[in-house]
Amino acid sequence: MIIKTITIEDLVDDYPKSVKFLSEKGIRCIKCGEPIWGTLEEACLEKGFTPEEIDTVVDELNDLTFNSKKESKNVTDTIIKINKIKP
Amino acid sequence: MINIQKVLDNLGISTTNPGVSSGTEWFDTEGKENHSSSPVDGKHIASVKTATLEDYEKIVSNAQEAFKVWRMIPAPQRGEIVRQIGNALREFKEDLGALVSYEMGKIYQEGLGEVQEMIDICDFAVGQSRLINGVALQSERPKHRLTEQYLPLGIVGIVTSYNFPVAVWAWNTALAAIAGDVVIWKPSSKTPLTAIATQKIIKKVLLDNNVPEGVFNLVVGRSSVMGDNFLGDKRIPLISVTGSTAVGRRASRIVGDRLGKTLLELGGNNAVIITPEADIEMAVMSTVFGTVGTAGQRCTSTRRIIIHESIYDQVKDAFVKAYEKIGDKIGSPLDENYLVGPLIDVHAVTLFEEAVSKVQKEGGKVLFGGQKLEGKGYESGTYVMPCIAEAENHFEIVQEETFAPIVYLIKYDGAVQNAIDIQNDVPQGLSSAIFTLNVREAETFLSQTGSDCGIANVNLGTSGAEIGGAFGGEKDTGGGRESGSDAWKIYMRRQTNTINYGSELPLAQGIKFDI
Repeated sequence: MIIKTITIEDLVDDYPKSVKFLSEKGIRCIKCGEPIWGTLEEACLEKGFTPEEIDTVVDELNDLTFNSKKESKNVTDTIIKINKIKP
Repeated sequence: MINIQKVLDNLGISTTNPGVSSGTEWFDTEGKENHSSSPVDGKHIASVKTATLEDYEKIVSNAQEAFKVWRMIPAPQRGEIVRQIGNALREFKEDLGALVSYEMGKIYQEGLGEVQEMIDICDFAVGQSRLINGVALQSERPKHRLTEQYLPLGIVGIVTSYNFPVAVWAWNTALAAIAGDVVIWKPSSKTPLTAIATQKIIKKVLLDNNVPEGVFNLVVGRSSVMGDNFLGDKRIPLISVTGSTAVGRRASRIVGDRLGKTLLELGGNNAVIITPEADIEMAVMSTVFGTVGTAGQRCTSTRRIIIHESIYDQVKDAFVKAYEKIGDKIGSPLDENYLVGPLIDVHAVTLFEEAVSKVQKEGGKVLFGGQKLEGKGYESGTYVMPCIAEAENHFEIVQEETFAPIVYLIKYDGAVQNAIDIQNDVPQGLSSAIFTLNVREAETFLSQTGSDCGIANVNLGTSGAEIGGAFGGEKDTGGGRESGSDAWKIYMRRQTNTINYGSELPLAQGIKFDI
């Protein structure tokens, strides 16, 4: 189960699919080859995500990780949601 | 081909290794296991038991006590111990170089070079241990002596990155040790075994010299154990971070909040300028090492090549031809027939592919490479064909540092100042170079209107610095200076002393205060 307070380091190690997923939304988990420090929530906040958007990201990451059949739909849905919210 | 098992045996690396050491002693840690695997073939190498918060506390407490002893040892005697560490590294140069190559992925020659850097900085530090000096100044008051001196600082926290997994530790540690400081090293979680091997290499020296436990500490820890708490620890007056600008910015904020000191060596976006007055063959030969050496994973790797329009096509063709030759030399870094090894992991490959895609979306054109390699020898999924792309400097992807072998060709026209302005128009400011045989162009590049980077070279590339010079950069690169020159000063606290050897009490500025 992924929660918003998970460190990016743990996210990258334990849920590697997250890297590409978050990259598509402008969050680079890895810089200079190393995971950035801090939590998923902090990384989202730095990119200007609202608390609601962060919850959506967490939900979709869990879907992506634990229900791979939904993977492509969920990624697309999240991107659409984020694009709708963020100018 | 190098026998890795023999290398691991020689270096004392077991199947599972404790990740916390205070010098010669290893802690029976209970933290999460880190499984180190090689980007060369994807195979698991060995595991490391990472630190817990209790381990961290114990290490810091030990270090505080050790500092009280270490700071009292005369600097030249501390230098003698660093000299012996350099010799121990000489003894294990081939083995440690091979492990660097296997765990990190740089070619064996570069692995050897990395260990040589460790040796070089030890040699440098030995000399420096007799040259820790201050200044004598002229007092305005009679029979007063005004001086400055440098004193040991305390605990130095060292955060290193995977791309130079052991050299950066040596840059910091050799100088910190002669300065009278003790160190706590947090190595990259991607390369913990090279760190453990280094700690084991220096063990005999520490034992032979009765160095107290707590002077040379190693803590392999996750960011939940060695993260913000480490940066925010007031017991650690100096934190040295080599890594991304993102991590450096975080460190700067947290350490700054407690008014601690930082030494930041962060990202680069390094450019080479090639003018019509350049020796083009030399420029191309030199620059290719900067672009594809270490598979583009050096802080100083060349990311941009800024070429005058009059020679653009000629230079472009020369680069593509050179890359075609490199294309046949990508493979296991332990095989000396190859010049380019893998990226550190599959995530790095993804980011490389994204950069290649993004530069095209922004209007750039791929001239060579840019794809992940597959097939025999590339089963780990970490090898890529280095990429040359035509681009414009303002592209978002060009403004970023992609830690992979992708280089952007950018055209300039008119005078060399135009090229310099393009070069400086990025957030980062680590390394830069110009190729020209024209002294006016070269001197302009080095002048007040020239390169804004910490490193500016003429007729050699952006990477491959010697240890004798201070290493670091400006702007988003963080402003720190490591290694040679007077970089030792940051590891010490500076003190101004005024000594009155007369019988009067004159105040400065002639102030009268008679009671």
